[in-house]
Amino acid sequence: MKISLSWLRDYLRTDKPAAEIARILTDAGLEVGAIESSGVAIPKVVVAQVLESIQHPNADRLSVCKVDDGSGTPRQIVCGAKNYNVGDKVPLAQPGAVMPGDFKIKVGKLRGVESEGMMCSSKELGLGEGADGLLILPSEAVIGTPLSELFPAEEVFEIEITPNRPDWLGHLGVAREAAAFGCGQLICKTPELPSTKEAASVAAIAAPGAASFYSIRRIDGVKVGPSPEWLRKRLESVGLRSINNIVDVTNFVMFETAQPLHAFDAGKIEGALTVRFAYEGEAFVSLDGKEHKLTANDPVIADAKKVQAIAGITGGVESGVSEATTSILLESALFEPTVIRRSSRALGISTDSSYRFERGVDARGALAASARAAALIVELAGGTPSAELVFAGLLPATRVVALRCDRVRSLLGIDLDDSAITSLLAKLGLKKITSEAALGFEIPSWRNDLTREVDLIEEVARLHGINAITATCAGIPAHSSEADKAYDFVRGLRRRLSGGGFHEARSGTLTGSRNQAAFAMGASDGSSSVIVVRNPMGEEHSTLRPSLIPGLLEAVSHNLRHGTDSIRLFEIGKVYQQEQPEESMRLGLVMTGRAAPEHWRNKEAGGDERSLDLFDLKGFIQLLSTRLEPVTFRSTTHASLPHLPLALDILIAGKPIGILGLLSPAATRELVVGGHQGQIVVAELDLHALQHANCIGFSKDPKQHGSLPKFPVVRRDLALLMDATIPYAAVELAVLGAKEELFSSVIPFDVFSDPEGVKVPLGKKSLAIALTFLHPDRTLTTEEVNEAVTRIVAQLRESAGAEIRG
Amino acid sequence: METQTPALGSQIDQLRIEALSAIAEASDAAALKEARVRYLGKAGSLSLLSERMRTLSKEERPVMGKLLNDLRTAVTASLDEKESALAAQANAAALSAIDTSLPGTGPEAGSLHPLTLLVDRAVQIFRRLGFAIADGPDIETEWHCFDALNTPADHPARNEQDTFYLPDGRLLRTHTSSIQIRTMVANPPPIRIIAPGAAYRRDEVDATHLAQFTQMEGLYVAPSVSLADLKGTIEFFFLELFGPGTEIRFRPHFFPFTEPSYEIDLRTEALGNTWMELAGCGMVDPAVFEEVNKKRGDSIYDPEKVSGFAFGFGLDRLAMNLTGVSDIRMLTGNDLRFLSRFTA
Repeated sequence: MKISLSWLRDYLRTDKPAAEIARILTDAGLEVGAIESSGVAIPKVVVAQVLESIQHPNADRLSVCKVDDGSGTPRQIVCGAKNYNVGDKVPLAQPGAVMPGDFKIKVGKLRGVESEGMMCSSKELGLGEGADGLLILPSEAVIGTPLSELFPAEEVFEIEITPNRPDWLGHLGVAREAAAFGCGQLICKTPELPSTKEAASVAAIAAPGAASFYSIRRIDGVKVGPSPEWLRKRLESVGLRSINNIVDVTNFVMFETAQPLHAFDAGKIEGALTVRFAYEGEAFVSLDGKEHKLTANDPVIADAKKVQAIAGITGGVESGVSEATTSILLESALFEPTVIRRSSRALGISTDSSYRFERGVDARGALAASARAAALIVELAGGTPSAELVFAGLLPATRVVALRCDRVRSLLGIDLDDSAITSLLAKLGLKKITSEAALGFEIPSWRNDLTREVDLIEEVARLHGINAITATCAGIPAHSSEADKAYDFVRGLRRRLSGGGFHEARSGTLTGSRNQAAFAMGASDGSSSVIVVRNPMGEEHSTLRPSLIPGLLEAVSHNLRHGTDSIRLFEIGKVYQQEQPEESMRLGLVMTGRAAPEHWRNKEAGGDERSLDLFDLKGFIQLLSTRLEPVTFRSTTHASLPHLPLALDILIAGKPIGILGLLSPAATRELVVGGHQGQIVVAELDLHALQHANCIGFSKDPKQHGSLPKFPVVRRDLALLMDATIPYAAVELAVLGAKEELFSSVIPFDVFSDPEGVKVPLGKKSLAIALTFLHPDRTLTTEEVNEAVTRIVAQLRESAGAEIRG
Repeated sequence: METQTPALGSQIDQLRIEALSAIAEASDAAALKEARVRYLGKAGSLSLLSERMRTLSKEERPVMGKLLNDLRTAVTASLDEKESALAAQANAAALSAIDTSLPGTGPEAGSLHPLTLLVDRAVQIFRRLGFAIADGPDIETEWHCFDALNTPADHPARNEQDTFYLPDGRLLRTHTSSIQIRTMVANPPPIRIIAPGAAYRRDEVDATHLAQFTQMEGLYVAPSVSLADLKGTIEFFFLELFGPGTEIRFRPHFFPFTEPSYEIDLRTEALGNTWMELAGCGMVDPAVFEEVNKKRGDSIYDPEKVSGFAFGFGLDRLAMNLTGVSDIRMLTGNDLRFLSRFTA
């Protein structure tokens, strides 16, 4: 909303500069976003006439002029512009003038010729870009006139008006607030109100839900024409276009009082003007020439024949004021905000009028606004208003709101006595009503927002000012919640992940439907489970992600395309599905590329130049749980996860909590980037289950933590030869299956097969394992370890078909 | 006998010269060890000379004894000195092959997302003030998101143009304020919570807008909570977050669910010393308590008995300013060149 400072000063006597007024308004809750300045406010810039112009003796591009600036003696000015003729009137900055940018005009020599000032372009005066060259003034401009008279300085505030304060949608309302906050004195001109009568033959309300008050005043003998300069300037300053004197007056009064008005051409109206709802499908052509099909939800003003206006929103093209108009019907009404809002939105028409009615206008302001407009119309367009204003409906009664001063003090945490509270509210025009029961305040009719005690408390807070309130900072501490525990777990997890070389990604939860379902974990038929948005911002953001993996793959794709050669990313966030739980927290992981950054030891160490693969991520995931609830894996294939042909279920305590897999080469090409070498490994885990497994904390048997083995372990290495198809898991199972009491652990430390069939026969593989043995209370003897190994070897042969390699 | 003393004395002098020069010439530990045995060993030169003490007169013995002792001390000191010199020399020789100016080769560091870091800082500050964390679903009912928060049925925020709806009529929460309602419906007062989370608005995505953003909500409800408490809490938080010298401005504003309501502007070094609108806050509107009571079926949130304050702020724009990015989409772009700057 634009508020013109010079217009505001019509109702506010103040000597404060614009910036100070802006600050006070902002502190009151009218946030002044910007102050736009226009016009010329530079002293010593005057209208001057070019008397002669000759070529500069020393410079091709300059000329030397003599100009008359009304001082009596012509001045000599050196000028670079070419767009003027001798006789033109132009702005002249006299010596001493300070131009925008703090550029001071002085008498001085330009290429050897004295210049006593500067002729100005519009840009140099801060009047906008304009055309190149000097600003040529109208020939009727009087020589010597200060330019600030031709281009009066104007300052306009851009104010953000909150929806609870429609009274600020007029300059008068802003002036009232400014005065209440000590910005000056309110100048309030109350217009003389006409006498009123009810006459259904002129104005009627057939839809009480749409309007509570409707009034018409007839003015005959008007002469429609252009508005005077002052009125045009006023309207232009707030961004309105001048139309004609009648329409301009209605707009002017709206921007003054915030009460929208409408003028009908009386000659086009037959019978009474009635507020009613439109008939279904009724046609209407609005002022802008657009045709609308109305519905029974649209409030209209209709005469005997047809709809003449959409109530409070827009007039009709037929009954609008034109140059041929001689009599008008001036409407001033109180329309129902919700009805106007609904209709305005349904029709897609938003006007200055609907904007105000939607928020609610001064409950008793309709009469004053009508009288003010009638007086201005008579002044500018002549004519005779009818003696009486004709109305239908009722203006609402004055509201009284009770207030307990103790409540004010306790809710605001201030110590303000009753009379101080009363006098603060009096600044806003709230009149104290003394009654035995409680303190009450009569609410001014323009304050529709003040209906409850707390509304008055807010006004006290605003006027008293929060700066005057002494801050306190105490409170009853809260016990930690489940959400706190989850947060703490995730916080620790994040740090473990970043410590492990993973970078944290964050992707939007709204994603395209493409390929989302293909990663939805746990759903039998992914696609049916995805939650869609009814009104998305395009297909790319139409579903709530069922998995974190597609977002991570998108990040992988982005980073590969930017030349990153090693990627480890994780994301912790919500995923969504139609089944319960509808929203769940997941951990997503992805890795690809070099296993370690390039460094000078790569060659020396031998193995570090390899690429990340499934086992890197598998190993990392194993670290995410505790010794007591270890993570295990189970080979799996999910028909619903076509992009992960090689996948493992991640289990804790035998229950699946996630999936680890290798992106298929086809999916790598399609989803990530073509030509990428190396595996892309992804995983997704349910965070709740992971947290649960981590929550177990200390063992139920403290001895498990508390006692350390007193004797060293004995290690024996075995080299096994076995069918290449037998998984390591079978070997581990066989070792455990031997149930050796002294057995402590088994680790595979080499796996080898030879495609040539030389070192290892074709179809076979060599597997080296390390076994360890331990007795808690004594040192082991060689014999007993040998015996145990023999039994394990037998078990390996029997259940895994493994032979000791010779 | 008379001649013995000078003879022994000169032998001692002789031995001193010989031993010290042998020690000086020893070029490695083995040579030095050999010298030690030769001069100080059981059958070494000094022991041999000592044995001749027995042949001396009672008067001569102390004189010679002192000379011998001095010799032993001198030789021992020289041996020790040479030994540490040789050890230092050997160390230097062994370590000189290591070029310590080569870069270290430790594990690769990961990073945490700047929004995570910011949320965590905020959480830790509010925890110092005794706030617990609360959460709620992103998919909300219209009641939790609007009705219970005193938002009129025809409020523009409920538009299909502004809010994402699901086919079943539920919506994606437009603010984390819905968590206030969920917390109060489920728990009696006192309530002292913060709630970081995602919120959604149908904004066209550009350099300064995302359709999804990160907010932090706060709520404190107890008997006689006042505006002064709100002011103190907000000031404590921002001073803690940005340090002393931070200016905080409360500007009266309007929100349907608080009254009085304020917007909070901040001016601080870290945000370029210009006023920046960061948050909204206010005293919980009695209408919100009434709605909560209706849902609960009791009157435990009687606005005559409890009062409260609520606040909420967006973290994305703050993160933008603190990380110096000019395009908010960087925050969800997951570009490792950006992410790797934020080591945890």
